[in-house]
Amino acid sequence: MTQLRLIIVLAGAAVLAATLVAASLLSAGEANTSTPAPAASDLFAGVPQDGLAVGDPDAPVTLVEYADLQCPYCAEWAVRTMPALVEDYVRTGQLRIVFHGLAFLGPDSDKAVRAAIAASAGDRLWNMVDGFYRSQGSENSGWVTDDLIGQIAAQAGLDGGELRDRGDESWVDEELSRANAAAQSAGVQGTPSFELGPTGGKLELVELSSLDPEGLTPLIDDLLE
Amino acid sequence: MTDARLRSVSAILALTGAGIAAYLLQVRSSGATLLCATGGCETVQGSRYAELAGIPVAALGLAGFAALFTLALVPGEPARLANAVVALGALGFGAYLLVIQVAVIGAVCQWCVATDLVTTALAALAVLRLRPESHRRETPRGAHPPRRARAAWRG
Repeated sequence: MTQLRLIIVLAGAAVLAATLVAASLLSAGEANTSTPAPAASDLFAGVPQDGLAVGDPDAPVTLVEYADLQCPYCAEWAVRTMPALVEDYVRTGQLRIVFHGLAFLGPDSDKAVRAAIAASAGDRLWNMVDGFYRSQGSENSGWVTDDLIGQIAAQAGLDGGELRDRGDESWVDEELSRANAAAQSAGVQGTPSFELGPTGGKLELVELSSLDPEGLTPLIDDLLE
Repeated sequence: MTDARLRSVSAILALTGAGIAAYLLQVRSSGATLLCATGGCETVQGSRYAELAGIPVAALGLAGFAALFTLALVPGEPARLANAVVALGALGFGAYLLVIQVAVIGAVCQWCVATDLVTTALAALAVLRLRPESHRRETPRGAHPPRRARAAWRG
């Protein structure tokens, strides 16, 4: 009887563990191969961009985003919150957003952020950032292909080959170093992180309570009052 | 150790594990930053292995620990067997996730290691509960002493 109980328990545990492992491998495998083709976005159409920034340079409030283009939370925040910020605050000239790209998750982060920074020379960084978030694959699976860069660049009105070449230039290295230094100085410990404050004034690191617009809009409203 | 005592310790451990899983789930839904000494928590929690068919692994962990807590409160053979199945199954899945962290993701999350330790302890207690000697009941407080002891007391 004792031996039978042991067999029942071990068999049950083995089936449970095997089911979970198989489901995990299947789920991870699907995520690995499900990089969708990027869809064109008109989120930034008609909004002024200048290098790393989007929005009116004279906007009273500045938001600085520290992000890794492979970070799922960053992509989730971009999908859930960025459209509301652009429509309600950036387009109305109240908010300017600056992007500081980090590449701590690995090679695909590096390749994507270099292409995005390279696009800042043509004032199209935010189109590239938006395109990468909307096409995000699993980390370091090789999802940031030359084709993908080409597709997102084309939608932004840029040349993918030129962006890849520019991504290796020394000014892009310097921009990445500046972003890392700024993140360290601000006390950034994870992504996405944000600094918020009056334009030209002291920016404060934000303790984000939600990935939804409500995580930031009350703070922006306070600064606008 | 009696079954009642093993169940009490199991219940406390299951609550601890549920607390860790709930914290991971709360951080995931709010987008807040994880407290992390190893530096790999964000990488692991943001990886494609942090979800299973769209369900966060932390949510599965919370459900698993809740089940183990409930089973720890219930005496009897069916609950004992179910507790052992769930605890050993969770131990196997936890071992797989640890291998994934080290070999595939290349980062280790301290919270995952903490839940692995809790699960290991729960599995050990579940195995102990299967031993025949743990099934004996304690003499309730204030009850009469066993017959043989009573005879000796009478002289």
